[in-house]
Amino acid sequence: MNVARDLLKHLCEALLRGALTVLTMAVVWELVVRVGGVPSYYLPSLVDVLAAVTVAPGAYVDSALRTIAETVLGFAGGAVFGVLIGVAFFQWKALRDYLFPMFVISQTIPVIAFGAVVVLWFGNTLWAKAVIAFYMTFFPVTVNTLQGLNAVDPRQVALLRSFGANAWQLLTRLRLPAALPQIFVALKLGATLSLLGAIAGEWFGDSVGVGVLLLHAMYNEQIPALWAAIFLAGAIGTLLYAVMSYIETRFVFWRDEL
Amino acid sequence: MILSLLPLIKKRGLLVAMLTVVLGSTLMVSAPSVNAQELTEASLRLKWLPQAQFAGYYYAHAKGYYREEGIDLTLNPGGPNLVAENLVASGADTFGISGGSDSLLAAVDKGMPLVSVGVSHQITPFVFVSRKDGPVKTLQDFKGKKAMVWFTGGNYVLFGMLNNAGIDRSELTILPQQSSVTPFINGDVDVIAAMSFNELYTIKQQIGEDKLRLFKSEDFGMTFPRDTLIVTKKTAQEKPELVKAFLRASIRGWHDAMANPKEAIDLVMQAAPTLNREHQEFMMQESYRLMTAGKAKTEGIYWIDEASLKSAHDFLLKNKVLSKPVPIATAFDGSFLKSIPIELRNP
Amino acid sequence: MDMYTCDSMPSSRSEGSARSKLLSLAGMSKSYSPTVCALNGLDLSIEPGEFITVVGPSGCGKSTLFNIVAGLEEPDAGSEIRFLNKPVNKASELLGQVSFMPQRDLLLPWRTVIDNAILAIELEGKRRADARRIALDMLPEFGLAGFENQYPNQLSGGMRQRVALMRTFLFGRDLMLLDEPFGALDALTRTMMQRWLLDVWQKHRRTIMFITHDVEEALFLGDRVLVMTARPGRIKLELPVTLDRPREPDIVTSPEFIRLKRELLIAIEEESRKSFAPTPSAGH
Repeated sequence: MNVARDLLKHLCEALLRGALTVLTMAVVWELVVRVGGVPSYYLPSLVDVLAAVTVAPGAYVDSALRTIAETVLGFAGGAVFGVLIGVAFFQWKALRDYLFPMFVISQTIPVIAFGAVVVLWFGNTLWAKAVIAFYMTFFPVTVNTLQGLNAVDPRQVALLRSFGANAWQLLTRLRLPAALPQIFVALKLGATLSLLGAIAGEWFGDSVGVGVLLLHAMYNEQIPALWAAIFLAGAIGTLLYAVMSYIETRFVFWRDEL
Repeated sequence: MILSLLPLIKKRGLLVAMLTVVLGSTLMVSAPSVNAQELTEASLRLKWLPQAQFAGYYYAHAKGYYREEGIDLTLNPGGPNLVAENLVASGADTFGISGGSDSLLAAVDKGMPLVSVGVSHQITPFVFVSRKDGPVKTLQDFKGKKAMVWFTGGNYVLFGMLNNAGIDRSELTILPQQSSVTPFINGDVDVIAAMSFNELYTIKQQIGEDKLRLFKSEDFGMTFPRDTLIVTKKTAQEKPELVKAFLRASIRGWHDAMANPKEAIDLVMQAAPTLNREHQEFMMQESYRLMTAGKAKTEGIYWIDEASLKSAHDFLLKNKVLSKPVPIATAFDGSFLKSIPIELRNP
Repeated sequence: MDMYTCDSMPSSRSEGSARSKLLSLAGMSKSYSPTVCALNGLDLSIEPGEFITVVGPSGCGKSTLFNIVAGLEEPDAGSEIRFLNKPVNKASELLGQVSFMPQRDLLLPWRTVIDNAILAIELEGKRRADARRIALDMLPEFGLAGFENQYPNQLSGGMRQRVALMRTFLFGRDLMLLDEPFGALDALTRTMMQRWLLDVWQKHRRTIMFITHDVEEALFLGDRVLVMTARPGRIKLELPVTLDRPREPDIVTSPEFIRLKRELLIAIEEESRKSFAPTPSAGH
């Protein structure tokens, strides 16, 4: 598979580039902690952080996989729903006038408040977290899709109409592809937000996940484990962002034109 | 990815199973599973994250005690954003370990259809801590100092202690306590509240047991039984056998966990592998001590001690946490417990 | 839509010609507001196979005229359009009936050269594979052989314009509207493109209406040059180009060319001065 190899190459390059930065930061960190004498509850030694992982490596792997599954599910749903609703809002102005304010209001609900309700509805399931990740993703995608569809060059629209294009053709041949760069901005944001949503969702009585690791470490004052969970969350976030960026370069290779 | 897909596969498996059942029943060849018919589905919402505070439940669950009693129990962890009273009242969970006598009475006062069928911690499960070499040597020394306590119920215990000692609470600075005891360890506050099985352990590790002075509310005439086991009034009325069965399995779980502490901690740590083992061992012993304190020594664990509950109630009423008197008998029902022979309940 | 009307100007309709017209416009007006009137009483007819060039001062309504003929805008009530000898009630009926090429190439950056070229016929419903096969055969003629899989951002301005032209040609309509297609090109490229366009036109024998700012371009390409008045636009002058075809580049130095050019320049100069007059003559 060419695509798979490309993705791997892309990721490897990003990793290599990142590795150098990370290594430098790690050295500085360790120096500050050891030479600077920073108390371990402010900043633990990275060696201690790694040790926290090695105590129960399985827990970190299971948690990462679980959180990734929740995030990816919710994100995918939110992305598809966001684009569809964005298109619907674009095609039917009345729908937008009536529903858009509700969408905006829905986003003013803090995710923590929303999370409690979702747990009541879905229980401690993977779906509950996916729903919260979905909730975090769909709105920016809707807004950017709408914006992207509206920002299409009217001269291009005129050209396609002069060729006799119908509404569906205008949408699929012109508006959606032209809106892709905008949509991808939201998708990259959404990848990070949905991870945030999944983690927040895990704070409502789940037993596996990065959010659970964070909670356990926080409330048991296991500072090295807390940092280990933070790094894990950061790594997942970076991975998701990198994958989205890669997909973007595949689909929006022509962006420099706009 | 395979691990993370398991729930999906299960979900699909469920769909397939449902389809099979539907098809099977139309063909009149289905043989319904025996287990599915006999077990009652139920869930227990813990008060907090998985830890040895709930070792008995994890033990009973893993050993199949609930199944033996006909219950297909799901153990749901609690956490900082969850209120067991709400989850049980809404029907999301069957059983719950609520904050304590204070939060349950407040919930019943607000009209939530809840009733407690057992009380875990017979005495106040937390203490106030100061440094031996610090300025706070007696309760009177709290005056003019900084004390930190949870504003989720713990504050009333402190108010009551001060009140009984004739100290006006405005004479000291009382700060809301968050998850961390760092302010105390850094010396930013003089007094801090500490769960005897949790924060106290952390503080002892950081400062040293011999350098600490402990103030127990019982020494100052206040006791707040906590970790009350709750169900809805509906469950209590319509499924008394389920409640009794749950109590029997839980009591057995606690006794056996204490008899096999290493195995019990293993089971807890399966649910939360990143926990600190020594801390959990300490927590289990300490939790059991709280469960078997006071009247429970002679009346068995989960005992509902009306006298201490009444004194907590009166104090809450006086401090306007309760809007009106709540008869102890409407918020607590000891009949389920009493149906279990005392020799099974005794520690 | 047609809330505003221009103060009517006498229409100088020449109904005389019995020859069949591809397109005829009579009393064509278009106003955007009570004070903005783009076209006023414009009459025009085009015969099949003709190459008509349109010149006029900036903002004289040339693009409005094209947009109406392409079906993108509706003229004011009372305007008459006949296309292929049939009356057209609404300009939008013309959507998909003429090959329109706007000023900018407007290529879709996510489509390759070949897929940009087939855009119009694909929208018509032709299968993509078939469309590509037809277009592939046509590529050498448009100087694009070997470039079929390039993306627009890899092409020069002249090549992009040829892709746009190919798109217009492939959309096999009787009438092609080209709106300043070479306006953005450098002088040398433009000359090359003009000669090439004449070659292609003579081979395919399509009817072309071509807007330009450039008087020499108008004369070099057209059978007839229409000079439009300043806004509101109508036809000021219809100048038949009495130059033989095929035309060589040096024709621009011939006395006849220079005579025609002078005539055009005088007419345009007159109109340009009007549009710079202190009070706008927007029909009031």
